[in-house]
Amino acid sequence: MTCVELQQSLAEIENGSTAEQQAHLRTCSSCSALVEELALIIAAAPALLEAEEPSPRVWNSIEIQLRQEGLIRPQRANQPSALSLAASASRSRWGWARLMVPAAALMILIGIYVNQRFRTPQQLVKGQPLAITSEANIAGLNDDELLQEISNQSPALRAQYADSLRRVNDYIADAKRIVDADPYDEEARRSLMEAYQQKSMLFELAMDRSLP
Amino acid sequence: MLNSLRITQAIQHKDSYAASDSIAAGKGNLTDRRQQNSSELSEADAIERAKQGDAEAFQALYDRHKRRVYSLCLRMTANTAEAEDLTQEAFLQLYRKIATFRGESAFSTWLHRLSVNVVLMHLRRKGLPVVSLEETTQGGTEEDTPRKDFGAEDVALAGSIDRLQLQKAVDSLPPGYRTIFVLHDVEGYEHNEIASIVGCSIGNSKSQLHKARMKLRDLLKINRAAKAGKS
Repeated sequence: MTCVELQQSLAEIENGSTAEQQAHLRTCSSCSALVEELALIIAAAPALLEAEEPSPRVWNSIEIQLRQEGLIRPQRANQPSALSLAASASRSRWGWARLMVPAAALMILIGIYVNQRFRTPQQLVKGQPLAITSEANIAGLNDDELLQEISNQSPALRAQYADSLRRVNDYIADAKRIVDADPYDEEARRSLMEAYQQKSMLFELAMDRSLP
Repeated sequence: MLNSLRITQAIQHKDSYAASDSIAAGKGNLTDRRQQNSSELSEADAIERAKQGDAEAFQALYDRHKRRVYSLCLRMTANTAEAEDLTQEAFLQLYRKIATFRGESAFSTWLHRLSVNVVLMHLRRKGLPVVSLEETTQGGTEEDTPRKDFGAEDVALAGSIDRLQLQKAVDSLPPGYRTIFVLHDVEGYEHNEIASIVGCSIGNSKSQLHKARMKLRDLLKINRAAKAGKS
């Protein structure tokens, strides 16, 4: 067996254990070194199996997506009672704002549902503003309060939040303008609902971050 | 409407979402507490609870498998941003299908196979060869002999191979070689499984793996020679 033949045979019998391979390896130090070095690589490879940790952002993105798709559903058994939530909320300056977040999100969703379910086509007059969510509802999710919630975070993070807030507000305005122009536009309605959900999620994440 | 879609995409993207690094910042926040609780869940419990839409259960499963899935994605793409996106995609696909998981196979087997498919689909979409385009026949020439590889034969790979060095070398492999090496030597798939996953013959898988190892050996030797030259 030549060096070339040995190397070719290693693709099939990688540890060089056949009689022919052994005979060649006994007389060829270069091929012996090759087999040993390949064995070292094979032995080292499993160390790469769980070598890396993903950035925490990956889970956050997954969680946001799962919530948007409705795959994460609200807990019932382990959820704190309204009383205990109220008690804990009252202990902090922005506690009541925390209660307002899920309430406002719920109001938005109910508003959208009622609007879509019960309005007759005659009521959907072109140009008539939608009763889905008014600016007053959004005031329940006050932008200043959100920025206040994260005021003790790093400037970079605050800037990111402000940017996200601006984007989602633009999105809401954009979708709302289209819905106002054409109340029958189902896609626009879905976009508007999604925009509000994104905003409420942004608040939820800000509240999570600010908890002690 | 295009503008809306653009904004939706932008806000969904991890880099533009301010809250996306919330776990990293601040100790004792809700996410940390969820992580603490999630480690106490058994895998079977977590799967059942995830089927009911329990957020903690989703995170428990993620925490348990994230390193392996992410490492697989990173090794096969050699790109951090792509690996993060693919990890996200793999887990999302998993969670969307979790209600159909009946436990016939191990959950980890199911997840890792799904992750491999996600990465391979991505590579194919990018137009990268899943199997190397180089000649895969086993006919060698004198140039292939170990004595003539890259002129780095003077440096021996004695002792153990440093993980970071190996990682760097794997990242430098051509995509086709890298895929087979990661699937076989890192992930532990057999050649028949690789042939079925990747869509090549068993002989091709064996040949590609051997060439990948040979290439890795050269890369590691060059790396060691460079280090020896510096010191």
